[in-house]
Amino acid sequence: MLFKSVYNEFIKIAAKPRSYLGIGAITLLVGVILFALKSDGLSILSFVTSSFEQTLSFEGNLLNGNLIAFIILQMLLVQIPLLVALVTGDLISGEFAMGTIRMVMTKPISRTTLLLSKFIAGAVYTACIILWLGIMALVFGQLFFGTGDLIVLNTDGLVILQEQDVLWRYLSGFAVAFLALLTVASLSICLSCFSENSIGPIVATMSIIILFTIIGTLEVSVFDSIRPYLFTTHMASWRNFFEVPLPQTEIVKSVIILIAHILIFLGISIYTFNKKDISA
Amino acid sequence: MPKSIISIQHLSKSFGSFQAVKDVSFQVFQGDVFGFLGPNGAGKSTSMRCMLSLIKADAGEIRLFDLPIQKHREDILRRTGSIIEKPDFYKYLSAYRNLDIFARISGTYSSKKEIYAMLDFVGLNGREHDKVGSFSHGMKQRLGIAQTLLHNPDLIVLDEPTTGLDPQGIIDIRNLILRLKEEHQKTIILSSHDLSEIEMIANRMVIINQGKSIVEGSVKDLMSSENLFIRLEAEPVEKAVEILKNAFPDINIQLNAENLLEFHLRRNLVPSISQLLISHEVAIYSLESKRSLEDYFIKIVQQDAI
Repeated sequence: MLFKSVYNEFIKIAAKPRSYLGIGAITLLVGVILFALKSDGLSILSFVTSSFEQTLSFEGNLLNGNLIAFIILQMLLVQIPLLVALVTGDLISGEFAMGTIRMVMTKPISRTTLLLSKFIAGAVYTACIILWLGIMALVFGQLFFGTGDLIVLNTDGLVILQEQDVLWRYLSGFAVAFLALLTVASLSICLSCFSENSIGPIVATMSIIILFTIIGTLEVSVFDSIRPYLFTTHMASWRNFFEVPLPQTEIVKSVIILIAHILIFLGISIYTFNKKDISA
Repeated sequence: MPKSIISIQHLSKSFGSFQAVKDVSFQVFQGDVFGFLGPNGAGKSTSMRCMLSLIKADAGEIRLFDLPIQKHREDILRRTGSIIEKPDFYKYLSAYRNLDIFARISGTYSSKKEIYAMLDFVGLNGREHDKVGSFSHGMKQRLGIAQTLLHNPDLIVLDEPTTGLDPQGIIDIRNLILRLKEEHQKTIILSSHDLSEIEMIANRMVIINQGKSIVEGSVKDLMSSENLFIRLEAEPVEKAVEILKNAFPDINIQLNAENLLEFHLRRNLVPSISQLLISHEVAIYSLESKRSLEDYFIKIVQQDAI
């Protein structure tokens, strides 16, 4: 029954116009960034590298596809949660808003199975979004700008990664970014269980992300104890894969915290949805 | 004794401080077309939702196919088809795709051919691939019936299936229900505001008011003890009055402005009127018996309110 229900959820997501907003938005945004960097990328790059030119000399194609992909990811991974929440926040509440939940829940499918199938479909959608972002950033970046070593400016300074050392870092980074977005998807599905309209969970998800991000960035001691455990603190942990040496403990900690959040949100969703009266 | 398909005993359900259902009990037997009657806010929809496990009852026992719904929800729903309140579908999907989605989680396999045949059965052939968003309320209601029947359930639960339909739509749905009863021997429970509809279709019924079941039984038995309002055009009028008063001393006969006789009479005595008058050579030009479940229903509800 789970497989059949997941298939149903795929059909619903694929047929909803809003599902393509994310793909469209990524295509447009990456297109604009690629165009802008193609037009004026070298001057932006020279502005960054100028401070190092007294001690280092740069040769070759610095403004290459690998750097472009990094810039794109850094710019867009903040906005992508909205695109994910737009679809996942509607998965349960949308059924209530349309009234279809009555019809679905008079079928011999358990509430837990339905919720899990929505979660799986939401996870696949999130993976598609990340995959498309990866294709747009990495493939199109390399197509238009060629390839080369990756220069990353971190808080500790400049990190130069060999061309052949980059791909696995991107793939691992995408995997952690997927976990971060899946946490957002789980949160919005969880909030969706409390609501009977589509907008509420989407707005609430974004509000929580903004609030947690503010708490995470505010240098106030009162938040010191909770800051490391907020999922928003670990949403940019994909960047750890572009550090040398690799901060393995940090990465493992981020992965554990993100997975813990996913499981907690999923657990709350299952409990709430099973208790909920379908009076819509 | 026919097999019990639905058995509800002392059902109650509150939403916060509001008690929607206080004490509802009734039984539906195999092959019944069961009318579930009550005014707005009586607790019909809440009872039906409890019955299908959409909402959890606070107290009482709900058994379908002799199984408690709490423990055997999926087994029961596999044998049940229902429309609660109104049929809401995925507007952005076609009629076919909607049925395909619901068929997939109905517990039985429905082929493409069966889905098309079902759409044809409810009169939606030619509209299979149109998006449901473009459908009228009547068409959605038909599609609702189609999703109800697709997995060939033993029990059909219809919550006010004719609400919002035009006269032709009401006739179509009524005919569809009658076909289900006669050709497919389904057990059907339906609530409706159109009480004459229930009277035409149902063989048994329960009336609920203010969250309590007031009366339950066969429609025929409940109605047979009821007075009907009779309007009679007969000639000569005086002779007709005399004959009727002799035959039925308790009745109060009035002569209206159109020279028609008006009086109330028990339902089971109505057939004897024409026989009696004709045997005394009184000509009958018209005999109208206006008795409806509405009158009965209103009377019962009023009695309960007192």
